[in-house]
Amino acid sequence: MTEKIESYILPNGMTLLGQFVAGVESASFSFLFPGGNALIPDKACGAAVVLDDWMFRGAGPYNSRQLIDALDGLGLHRQSGPSAESLSFSASMEAGNLIRAIELYAEILLRPRLEEEQFEPGRQLALQSLAALDDDPRQKVSFELYEQFYPDPLGRPSVGKEQDLRRLQPEQTRQIKSALFDGSGAILAVAGKMDFNKVCRRVEDLFAQAPAVKSPPPPLRPALRGYRHIPNEGAQVHIGFMTEVPPLGSPAYYQILAAVSILSGGMSSRLFTEVREKRGLCYAVGARYHSHRQIAGISGYAGTTPDKAQQTLEVTLGEFRRLCRGIAQDELDRAKVGLKSSLIMKNESTSARAGHLASDRFYLNRVRPLEEIRDSIESLTVQSVQEFLSGCGFEEFTLVSIGPKPLEVK
Amino acid sequence: MEFKKTQLKNGLTFVGEINSSAQSAAVGFFVRSGARDETDRINGVSHFLEHMVFKGTNSLSALEVNEIFDRLGAKYNAFTSEENTVYYAAVLPEYFSDAVDLWTRLMRPALREEDFDIEKNVILEEIAMYKDLPQFEVMDQCRLLHFGEHPCARSVLGTSESITALTAWQMREYFARRYAPNNLVVACCGNFDFDQTCRLLEDKCGRWEPIEADRPIDYFRGTLQSQRQSKSGLTCEHICLMSPSVSMQDPRRYAASLLGMIVGGDSGSRFFWALVDPAIADTAVMQCEAMDGVGAMITYLRCPSADRERVFEIVQDIFNQLHEKGVAQQELTAAKNKVLSAITIKSEQPMGRLVNLGFNWVYLKEYHSVADDVQAVKAVTVDQINELIKDFSFSEFTRYCIGPE
Repeated sequence: MTEKIESYILPNGMTLLGQFVAGVESASFSFLFPGGNALIPDKACGAAVVLDDWMFRGAGPYNSRQLIDALDGLGLHRQSGPSAESLSFSASMEAGNLIRAIELYAEILLRPRLEEEQFEPGRQLALQSLAALDDDPRQKVSFELYEQFYPDPLGRPSVGKEQDLRRLQPEQTRQIKSALFDGSGAILAVAGKMDFNKVCRRVEDLFAQAPAVKSPPPPLRPALRGYRHIPNEGAQVHIGFMTEVPPLGSPAYYQILAAVSILSGGMSSRLFTEVREKRGLCYAVGARYHSHRQIAGISGYAGTTPDKAQQTLEVTLGEFRRLCRGIAQDELDRAKVGLKSSLIMKNESTSARAGHLASDRFYLNRVRPLEEIRDSIESLTVQSVQEFLSGCGFEEFTLVSIGPKPLEVK
Repeated sequence: MEFKKTQLKNGLTFVGEINSSAQSAAVGFFVRSGARDETDRINGVSHFLEHMVFKGTNSLSALEVNEIFDRLGAKYNAFTSEENTVYYAAVLPEYFSDAVDLWTRLMRPALREEDFDIEKNVILEEIAMYKDLPQFEVMDQCRLLHFGEHPCARSVLGTSESITALTAWQMREYFARRYAPNNLVVACCGNFDFDQTCRLLEDKCGRWEPIEADRPIDYFRGTLQSQRQSKSGLTCEHICLMSPSVSMQDPRRYAASLLGMIVGGDSGSRFFWALVDPAIADTAVMQCEAMDGVGAMITYLRCPSADRERVFEIVQDIFNQLHEKGVAQQELTAAKNKVLSAITIKSEQPMGRLVNLGFNWVYLKEYHSVADDVQAVKAVTVDQINELIKDFSFSEFTRYCIGPE
């Protein structure tokens, strides 16, 4: 698992990271800008998702159709979207098309046309996607949960809010674009079959003039927390829950990963065993770690029919609390081998590698080598995980349910 | 990469694509068993059986099975379709033999009554979960309407009625008919030892008795009917269209898959420009589903319910244009680039190659390397796609909609 991570800082402050991967024919890149939903002014929630659509509707010399044709012509598999603290634009492709793809993204990121007549379809698509969440309560519950759990504006739903989307104006959205895209804080990570020096030279030409825009972090308003029920006559009750743990970069990070893995890693994990295997309460039950820079939590989901919902909630939260009373050596051993396997297998993909480089740099201000991650997992002990867990308690949960009637929360 | 294959005396086939520089290896047990092999009375048994396989053997409990897989750090699961049940695991090379060994044991499951009773609840929960997801429900209902009396009409999950009525005895009887060695292909990809795996399979599976496990594979063009279901509480109109297409055995399937990309790829396609770009529908995708002896082009559309008639008109117009003028070279080139880069990206992980390797053997008894697939995609011409459009009347389709009252 040897690797060489290269980096280069452009004069304007933009960071380039690269990792050559032997034996592959693809390359992937990930652009990350340090501005997300949380930096958008109040009453404009959803502007970033509209902007994300609008920027691909023409840029530089390309009108909308020419731009999409050019991207598709390179066979790009692309993803983009806002989170609370960042905007990301990533793509995977055959390695020979990498430089050309970065050139196209320079147009999109630096010179989007943002034409008036292309704004409305983007806003309408955002409204339709938001409305479609009502037909997907399982996904809706996670947006509602984050909004309930995180202090505003970190919990804002990335899909936007209906009344904000309806009042959003093109000029206001252009201003948001200028304020969000900070060239000096931008990160470009590239992984796969590529020549890093060549990428650096081209990126320097393309992005040297990307302006620096410094926005102070937004003040955080107190989180709502507690329990919220949303009435819905569906076949199932969808239960989302979240409890606070330290954020990425905290010394307890690997203990948290181990705890989540013991709870919800493989099929021998506690939630799967106790909720699904032994009691047959759910098809879908699980937990995961979700972190912003300053605040994080372990979130979970369980979907079940209404007559089993109360028991499902009690057994599920009971498993969190039982975790604090101790873990077994073999549970930790399974969690460790699972985490190490995931690490190696995930890194067979060039897009996962590019994503890892960019997000480490963004959240931790450095890139952790795979060896460091592996050694940290290896050095976990029952005692170190238990020490972390006994300090947690898992007494406070934020809860959201979508279903016919509210649950009894003890 | 090196391809190797062998067959045990009882008919079990083992195919392997060895890549000794890969960091992991993947194994899949492909059982030719799915909803189309059931009867209405036992509908859902293939998928329920897939769950029961994880419940262990006469000497392994469900918890022990899960613990062994997790101790190997395996990424493992299974899926069931209309015609296949596939069990798979991806592991680091040092754990590969143990993962294969465990799957060979699980292919002879205990199917215990008490496990069956608990797992029935999980299946009923899974059915309820999909009832709350209209994008899946509409596909299931459209398939039922399109295939009519053809076996591919059957739902993979079954219904809450068929699952409630199902007995463990019926499942054991079904298992005995479908999980025969001659109805099974073991496929492996990545960094593993072929000869050692051969010996393991011979030792563990060599005594399984073969049984006749054929299935009828009649072609069917579909009923081409139209239905709508209104459901309170829904916001959007969910629309599924199905029209006849090529089977897995038909060499034109590469052309059909490129046609799906030209018409309904998620960006730059005809659907994209006519429906998504102007925000008439927020989702409009089409793809070819080639199956055993039969096939369908499947379209999914989601739009505001009030706009559905307009969406129908636009889609009809797109299909009419296809029949009148065919596709353009530029569209085909863009579709090829997308398909080719997808092949490149996916094939870089053993797990990404596994399904392709397994299904090519299940359906065609052929090995297709990445280079073969790339060549087959590159070789498709505009004329071949236009011929395909003539041969299959895509403008005639079965339509099922679910939307608000």
